[in-house]
Amino acid sequence: MVANEQNIEPDDIIVCRDVHKWFGDFHVLRGITTTIKRGEVVVVFGPSGSGKSTFIRAINRLEEHQRGDIIVDGTELTNDTRNIDAIRRDVGMVFQSFNLFPHLKIISNITLAPIKVRRLPVKQAETLAMELLERVGIPEQAEKYPAELSGGQQQRVAIARALAMQPKIMLFDEPTSALDPEMIKEVLDVMRELATSGMTMIVVTHEMGFAREVADRMMMFDEGVILEEATPENLFNNPQHERTKLFLSQIL
Amino acid sequence: MATDSHSTSPPILPRPQFETGFAGWMRLNLFSTWYNSALSVTAIVVLALTVWFGLGWVFLDADWSVISTLGGRIMIGQYNIEAACPGQNCFWRPQASLLLITVLLGMGWQVAGGGMAKQFALLVGGVAAAFAFLPYGLDTMGMDVRLLLVANLPALAVGWSIARYTPLGTASRIAMLFVSAFLLTMVLLRGIPGVPFLEPVSVIFWGGMMLNLLLAVAGISLSFPIGIGLALGRRSHLQVLKLLCIVFIETFRGVPLITLLFMSQVLVPLAFPENFPVNSLYRAAIVITLFSSAYMAENIRGGLQSLHPGQAEAARALGLPGWQTTLFISLPQAIRNVIPPIVGQFISLFKDTSLVYIIGMLDVVEISRAFIQGNPEFLANAKELFIFLALVFWIFTYSMSTVSRRVEQHLGVGER
Repeated sequence: MVANEQNIEPDDIIVCRDVHKWFGDFHVLRGITTTIKRGEVVVVFGPSGSGKSTFIRAINRLEEHQRGDIIVDGTELTNDTRNIDAIRRDVGMVFQSFNLFPHLKIISNITLAPIKVRRLPVKQAETLAMELLERVGIPEQAEKYPAELSGGQQQRVAIARALAMQPKIMLFDEPTSALDPEMIKEVLDVMRELATSGMTMIVVTHEMGFAREVADRMMMFDEGVILEEATPENLFNNPQHERTKLFLSQIL
Repeated sequence: MATDSHSTSPPILPRPQFETGFAGWMRLNLFSTWYNSALSVTAIVVLALTVWFGLGWVFLDADWSVISTLGGRIMIGQYNIEAACPGQNCFWRPQASLLLITVLLGMGWQVAGGGMAKQFALLVGGVAAAFAFLPYGLDTMGMDVRLLLVANLPALAVGWSIARYTPLGTASRIAMLFVSAFLLTMVLLRGIPGVPFLEPVSVIFWGGMMLNLLLAVAGISLSFPIGIGLALGRRSHLQVLKLLCIVFIETFRGVPLITLLFMSQVLVPLAFPENFPVNSLYRAAIVITLFSSAYMAENIRGGLQSLHPGQAEAARALGLPGWQTTLFISLPQAIRNVIPPIVGQFISLFKDTSLVYIIGMLDVVEISRAFIQGNPEFLANAKELFIFLALVFWIFTYSMSTVSRRVEQHLGVGER
């Protein structure tokens, strides 16, 4: 089902119009309107509880929004499961707690979805998986189980797993928050390479160095609204809101 | 103050002698403090006395003849009596079933390549063959019975060869063969009207350990998938399905099994079309299965609840539809986590099969009890008989526990 075409250009891969969400009585998203273009790298940041995780989780329907529209690559997100599954095939997600499947080997973690969902033959899926493991730098870990890997390696496997579905968009929900500084670097290197290769990315993170290098746009969330959005240069050098200035002063 | 620097790092030392080895273990675990030592000494003395007097009783005072008098009836109940099997010896039929099992065990040994499967196969085959050499006269225990018992050893070899040299040697095929073997056993025991050597034997004569094992195998195999279905149904968003599952689970959990068995005389035939004979064995099997599946459902539901929600989220985020997420991600992890209570339920089920006495079936416990009652000269020996039964039950249930521990090790439960 394609949403009404008003003001949507072919390059607008995610369109959010006045999105509201409540958790019980708590109004967590209070009118989010934004457009993400194909190939854009957007960094979302802000204090805890500001709704940034909820926002990106709403994009692949891990959270349901109660008002407003979210249109992903021309398909509107509603309760229709066919739409939801179609969107999820094209939107990859990387979680803060990695969420690798502990009962499967690394290679099976990566090949499961391509085999079951995209119906790839097993050999082809395994070749793809090994290529992706090379790309994230850990091809030798293929036959191990997630518990045998370090946090940084697990997160890189999680990225490879999401990439195996050849998505158009990659969502990152605080991918490095559970890692120590050495491992943060190895994961950010992978994300940097992904960004320069042209992937559309929305990254919730506090890694401002990464944002400055790679982001096309940065969004500050506060209490359920997008307080400010600008290019990294403009945001760091010339923040408009007091709240933004305060937050930046604490993390820079 | 300037930091101290060592010119070399401190030496690597071996662990102190009195903390290693058996002496070290004893010191640490048994004699670490004065009260531990006192308790250890007391426990060792009590244990030694128990073993001494226990073994004395077992080998010197106890009269085990009651078991040999009961003989084959412990295993098969009244399967072979004149009324059940007129004019011939039907004992070969349960023995043939045992041979089928031994063949399957041999196949399992080959596929597993050794280890526990091999030990188990050799144990079963060896014990069965050893029974052929019991010191009774040939009229108590005929040559045909003995030959069929000894045949269990070559049966292992046959199974091993089949797995090695035919395409049947995979775990999944062996599982399917197991199902076929069970069905074949049922046909073999039940008989087919008009076929020579396979005259029908009514289920009212089936008894002994054979009865317990048949009910247990059927109950365990069926209650597991039914339990999974009920657990998933109970967690479903479809309110009607959820309600039906809750009602089923709470009903079958809330009523004692013995009551259900007793009521099954009346209630189970109601579920079948009129004039369709549902004999007491099937009634018992259905009731035991449904009863156990209610408990299984709750165990599995507990396992599903204990999962990190991120697992299902990651699977859904990859585009896996709900049923595939459940099948490949949630259920495997949930079941791994609750193997102990599941196996506990299997063990419980096996022991509960004795309750079929209430509908007139002579399982191994009931046939023993009835024998003592009918032969009061053995009244003083009832304890030998029941200790023996307890031992037999314990051997089966301990085997189940051991297998379950190995399965957990193999799946890496608690490690990954």
